[in-house]
Amino acid sequence: MDWERLELSPRILAAITKANLKSTQSVFVVSVPELQNLTKLSVGDIRKMQKEVATALGKHEMVTALQMYSEKMQFPSQHQKLSLGCKILDSLLRGGIPLVGISEFAGESSAGKTQIGLQLCLSVQYPVEYGGLGAGAVYICTEDAFPSKRLQQLIKSQRRQRSDVPSDVIRKIPFGDNIFVEHAADLDMLTNCIMKKLPVLLLRGVVRLIVIDSIAALFRCEFTAKDSFLKAKHLQTLGAKLQELSSRFLTPVLCINQVTATVNSVQNNIGLLEKNGSPSLGICWSNQLLMRVMVTRTPHAAPQDYPGCVLRTMEVIFAPHVPCSSCYYTVDLDGVKGIDKESLR
Amino acid sequence: MQREVGSLPLAPTLRTKLIFAGFRTVEDLAIDANELSREAGISEEEALECLQIIHPGSCGGTSLLSQKHTGLTLLEQEQAQGFIITFCSAVDDLLGGGIHLNKVTEICGPPGVGKTQLCMQLAVDVQIPGCFGGVAGEVVYIDTENSFLVERLVDIANACVEHCELITQSNQEDEHIKAMQTFTLQNILSRIYIFRCHDYVELLAQIHFLPVFLEQHSRVKLIIVDSVAFPFRHAFEDLSLRTRLLNTLAQQMISMAKEHDLAIIMTNQMTTKIGPRDSMLVPALGDSWGQAASIRLILTWENKQRLATLQKSPCQKTATVPFTITHQGFRDVGFPEHEVNSSQCEINPRKRPRNDDEP
Repeated sequence: MDWERLELSPRILAAITKANLKSTQSVFVVSVPELQNLTKLSVGDIRKMQKEVATALGKHEMVTALQMYSEKMQFPSQHQKLSLGCKILDSLLRGGIPLVGISEFAGESSAGKTQIGLQLCLSVQYPVEYGGLGAGAVYICTEDAFPSKRLQQLIKSQRRQRSDVPSDVIRKIPFGDNIFVEHAADLDMLTNCIMKKLPVLLLRGVVRLIVIDSIAALFRCEFTAKDSFLKAKHLQTLGAKLQELSSRFLTPVLCINQVTATVNSVQNNIGLLEKNGSPSLGICWSNQLLMRVMVTRTPHAAPQDYPGCVLRTMEVIFAPHVPCSSCYYTVDLDGVKGIDKESLR
Repeated sequence: MQREVGSLPLAPTLRTKLIFAGFRTVEDLAIDANELSREAGISEEEALECLQIIHPGSCGGTSLLSQKHTGLTLLEQEQAQGFIITFCSAVDDLLGGGIHLNKVTEICGPPGVGKTQLCMQLAVDVQIPGCFGGVAGEVVYIDTENSFLVERLVDIANACVEHCELITQSNQEDEHIKAMQTFTLQNILSRIYIFRCHDYVELLAQIHFLPVFLEQHSRVKLIIVDSVAFPFRHAFEDLSLRTRLLNTLAQQMISMAKEHDLAIIMTNQMTTKIGPRDSMLVPALGDSWGQAASIRLILTWENKQRLATLQKSPCQKTATVPFTITHQGFRDVGFPEHEVNSSQCEINPRKRPRNDDEP
């Protein structure tokens, strides 16, 4: 912001110009005595200046909760969610994935995390009235090669999977062309991808979903226990950048995470919600998340309607808008499907 | 008052001029502005300003800080003051009645334990009309984590309105009936002022702006910052800068709470502190931040139970109590209303989905 736009007396403005204070923000970061030294102004003047800058910056940002609630068009992040492409799973998550924030799906291998990620890459491409966002997705792989064969399979069976959507709508969406796949083999590549490549793609507006599969893999192999401070710092930086991108472009970020088996079941004093396995990367990463969902594979078979499928559970560990709750689901040829509780009885 | 002129918060040039003119201590400046401007060779405007800094009381109203109170009046004031209840009686008792007006309360906890839920609950509770024992205030909600979701707030607000309606129906007092006419979802939502801050500079600017905002909205009784930790926990190479900024912020918060007679809630994340023997979770932002709030409440999990621990308080003893979060909001454990209403959304994930005679 320019200094000229502020309502300050010319005397103060002149002092500021002379002191060569470039950005208006610096008046909050630099301490008062230091500002005094730079500008040769009195404390009273500096307080006046801080107040004026703060007023100018904060003027337009206040909204009441009522505005958020009633003016749906202006606050899409409060009313719109990204659908998972299945009514039962959507109702577990109260409509789907929130548009702003990092959502995590954690689970052991073969629990179905990647399947959920792929399905979201497809459902984001549907128009808004069918739960999508009408744009493509970025899929960042760190562990495995991108499962393109499986993706083709899912695309072919979209018409069966999404029977709620008219088939001419489905036919018009070029599903395969809208998924940008990025391989990140090490942490530098991942950082580069998030810091440089993602903003470019998002600015072009062709992408409204970021999937990272998985976030833990690189961190778990590149840092030893000794470097935990460095690791924490790196995670915080990445998390903050993802948050920023998410809120700037109203783009949900989906992170797939592994779980670390807890060796002994002795109560530790950490005060976290104990599970059989806890998601990797520790509390430092958990602090960045908006929502965490755990997926597990049970040893049971799914009900008769889903022949040859394994029963799995999806459990909300925390989310600001959903209570801790869970449901069953399964993965078949067509994709991820929730199972109605009634059919299990 | 033997304060030296050199220590006054004046512009450096002005200070030098005064000292050159022979003004060494504040006592020397017991003259009027005209004389001062002549003696020190400064403009009358500058002279007036510098006299105002020395004797803030003499021009304009008396400053709040210089008022004297006896212990008795302070006690009476404190007893007359309302609390913001949390809707969980165990936590209310723990805090000595609820969230104190005039004080800064910090809520710490690991992700998912219910910090944001408690904030939203308090944002609704602060608006409860006086006849129901509330403080009927408005609320400023500063969201730094993008975790404020209005649909959840609506759940909590509806539950609160319902609760007050039940009281009204059973008591049938005119005062209650009248209060209920304005205590509606629409009104509750319209009294929550939300600000979004994406980084620490925006947050600091926001805090500087708040006094201006509070002058226009004098009925604000609660300021929530959810969370302080997030913007301050990344992008800081220089940790001493962070400590200084946090201290300034804390100081501003404390004086705002005193001056405008309102409660301030700040949430904080937890971090792992690796000790010599074992590691444990402690509130983030370092030890000096621990001094910032006068009341510190830590929320944790133990097995499947949420616990609230009062870690620091000037007037209550430290203790731990259980609480729970239901569809209605922040509640006591085993609150009967909860069992009746939310049974439809609870299923046990660990339960075997079928009968037990399977292999």
